[in-house]
Amino acid sequence: MSDQTSLKTVGIRLPGSRLLEVDDLTVTFPTSRGDADVVKDISFTVDPGQTIGIVGESGSGKSMTSLAIMGLLPRGGRTTGSVKLNGHELTARSDREMRRVRGERIGMVFQDPLSSLNPYYTVGLQIEETYRAHRGGSRRAARKVALDALQRVRIRDAETRIDHYPHQFSGGMRQRIMIAMAICLEPDLLIADEPTTALDVTVQAQILELLTELQDATGMGMVFITHDLAVVSEIAETVLVMRGGVQIEQGPAEDVFARTTQPYTRALLDAVPRLGDDVATMKEVRP
Amino acid sequence: MLWYILRRLGGAVLVLFLISLFTYAIFFLLSPDPAYQICGKTCSPERIAQIHTTLGLDQPFWVQYRDFMVGIFGGRTFGTGANAVACDVPCLGFSFQTNQQVTEMVASRFPVSATLAVGAAVLWLLFGVVGGLIAALKEGRFWDRAVMVSALAGISVPNYFIALLLQYVIIVQLQWLPFPQQVDFGDDPLRWFQTYILPWSVLAFAYAAMYSRIVRTNVIDTLGQNFMRTARAKGLHPSTIISRHALRPALTPVVTLFGMDFAGLLGGALITETVFGLNGIGKLTADSITKNDQPVIMAVTLLAAVLVVVANIIVDLAYTGLDPRVRVKAS
Amino acid sequence: MATALNEVTVESGSVGALFTDSAPTPGRRVWRELRTSPTALLSAAFIIFILLLAVFAPLVAQLTGWGPNEFDPDAINPDLGGLPVGPGGGIGSDHWFGVEPGNGRDIFTRIAYGARVSLTIAFAATLATTVLGVLAGMLAGFYGGWVDQVVSRVMDFLMAFPTLIFMIAILSALPADNRLVLLVIVLSVFGWTYTARIVRGQTMGLRTSEFVEAARASGGRGLGIILREILPNLRGTIIVLVTLSVPAYIGTEAGLSFLGVGVVPPTPSWGKMIAQAVPWYASDPMYFIFPGVFLFLTVLSFTVLGDRLGKILDAGDAA
Repeated sequence: MSDQTSLKTVGIRLPGSRLLEVDDLTVTFPTSRGDADVVKDISFTVDPGQTIGIVGESGSGKSMTSLAIMGLLPRGGRTTGSVKLNGHELTARSDREMRRVRGERIGMVFQDPLSSLNPYYTVGLQIEETYRAHRGGSRRAARKVALDALQRVRIRDAETRIDHYPHQFSGGMRQRIMIAMAICLEPDLLIADEPTTALDVTVQAQILELLTELQDATGMGMVFITHDLAVVSEIAETVLVMRGGVQIEQGPAEDVFARTTQPYTRALLDAVPRLGDDVATMKEVRP
Repeated sequence: MLWYILRRLGGAVLVLFLISLFTYAIFFLLSPDPAYQICGKTCSPERIAQIHTTLGLDQPFWVQYRDFMVGIFGGRTFGTGANAVACDVPCLGFSFQTNQQVTEMVASRFPVSATLAVGAAVLWLLFGVVGGLIAALKEGRFWDRAVMVSALAGISVPNYFIALLLQYVIIVQLQWLPFPQQVDFGDDPLRWFQTYILPWSVLAFAYAAMYSRIVRTNVIDTLGQNFMRTARAKGLHPSTIISRHALRPALTPVVTLFGMDFAGLLGGALITETVFGLNGIGKLTADSITKNDQPVIMAVTLLAAVLVVVANIIVDLAYTGLDPRVRVKAS
Repeated sequence: MATALNEVTVESGSVGALFTDSAPTPGRRVWRELRTSPTALLSAAFIIFILLLAVFAPLVAQLTGWGPNEFDPDAINPDLGGLPVGPGGGIGSDHWFGVEPGNGRDIFTRIAYGARVSLTIAFAATLATTVLGVLAGMLAGFYGGWVDQVVSRVMDFLMAFPTLIFMIAILSALPADNRLVLLVIVLSVFGWTYTARIVRGQTMGLRTSEFVEAARASGGRGLGIILREILPNLRGTIIVLVTLSVPAYIGTEAGLSFLGVGVVPPTPSWGKMIAQAVPWYASDPMYFIFPGVFLFLTVLSFTVLGDRLGKILDAGDAA
């Protein structure tokens, strides 16, 4: 049962390896016009407690990158290159093997929490099922874990609200619930795909704060995907700028924001309007 | 929540009242004088007048309607004296052509229609839901096409044609089944089953076809929903993902449809019963229409409407139980 | 899902170029897609065949040499109770589809005339219900408020009726003249609600879209907006509804005729032919098989075409 043992040990870091190593990741889809690379030769690493922000406009391939890491590409997608978690290669694994990794070793949070939660089931159940799918265990044990997770993301009255349905929560709270679901098994890595895009600015700040807290407490690494530069600057140490599936530049956040030499990055930065900007000087970013 | 139920019931009563009024009015306006049917062509005017009085046909519309409605809840008597005819609660009318209380005629035929409805429902739910599910899961591939082509055939072919065809092929030519015969389950279970299997299949074929198309669309839609992606991202087993996350959203609307269809079928499957010679409410309706037995037609129409309205309410309430989003609105 | 799809459309090579070529006008695209689908073509071909049969029924009668109500006593065998002479219910060079037992009427001619009845009623009913339904649906969906309440209540009320039974009951009670018109009226009265429901839903969705807002902002008034902004966008839906209504009415009319409340004899109707064939189903199965198959194929063709149109138009919206 060699694949069983290797799966158990995916959680154990191989000596000399990083938490997440992505090397020359390429995602290809067949289209009516031939094969298209929606992600091309993307490489980056993440260490425990560290966050990388992947920035780009829609269509830049950033979400596809995260889906490729999880092995959740839409039908027809092919992955080439290497994705290593704790030194263990993920790309060649079967779906059955990846199922063990998803939710347990890598957690994922998506953009729209209302549509990303099943409206027919209570939030408690949706968290519990993650626990029970990976660890087995009784309903009572699962409920404890779910309760604990809700409390960690600061849902008030968790004992009551655990039996509520998604539509009974506000947008910000729903996103907290999604985060609770993703971290309830204490994964090594959290992938957040535009988690704050659908939220109000004030709520955004709360969510970012929560994510940072959780990261400090558990030491998990984070891949934070967004098109919002302001958000990235707050939460990421490293920044990867993508455009059309290709890396434009990568480096420490400060360097990229303050001293970029790339015209595209420059254009992205300039496109963020600031109070006092002259309307005429605001440039358009050509996609 | 209680308030919601009461409101719905109130609305339903109103609708039923309107339907009964409407139906009664239509028949009042359109039907030929029943007196002639009872009496025949060679009727003296005095006899006609007498019948009119007995049946209360000389009264104004509103009185007739009131008598009819009151009769449903309290029974009534037609005529006076020695020729008086009693009609027990719930009095749906009296068929002078056959000399029976309509309620009794309908009640005696209900079991056949019910048997037909239940048997067909089991079959069509099974094939419809499973078929639609398979088609959705194997979208674009062989089984999807196979199921969809069958479904297309099922909704396009008139069921009386299929009924005749099946009778011809299976009973007459291949002789796999004997001719349908009205038997009770207790007396001869085999014959009972042999009698019903074809009509069940004919009915189920049409409904299953419709349902598999709907289920397929719903499941495909549901599979594309964002929460399915979340379920996969949590590392759940595929069978859990389908059975827990896909089925409920996809099938809940089907429940509504099923309720209405089943209720409609309880009111009698006219065509199927006629072709197979089964003595259910549907056949009663068809026969009464041919003979123009007014009270029976009227009663059956009303009964069918009541069934549909009741089913509507049940289904609505069931929906609040099934879809949490609706529950909050209701409370 | 939206994000994933968007990313798929990105072209490789040209860095970040997300271009879309100018879409051909919807009509042309639909036509092109239909042309490439064998099932759609087959269906369309059959529909045209039936249409021709219906329109040129008198010519068909000339072709076969028999009128629709013309008896042919030589084609049936009185000793066998009126069974047709020859195989398959009397199929031969004289009568291509055989004859009706008992009177020897040519089935092919009757099928042609029956096509007339089926299509006329179905088209007329479709026209009426579409006009009524679209109007009601647009008004209810656009204005909302009490207009919507009234229309919706009426729709609910009509939908609560056991349609088939009611139609049968009404039709059986009415006198036999002007049957065709009566049938169309009865079918339409109960049929418009389905179209109206769908149109209402679509209108409510369109009401909040940007171009309606723009039209309103530039001073457009209710009726104008409905006609200029909403109706054109309902085009696809309406086309599909029409294409799928026709077979529904063909089926319903056939069913009503089968039960004896449809067209009055001697007018031929496919449903009525099957009803008349019931007593002969064992001895002369072709008598019910011919009209049955025609009914089946006609309804099937319209449904397949409607389905395909629906798929094409859906895909167009997503592009």
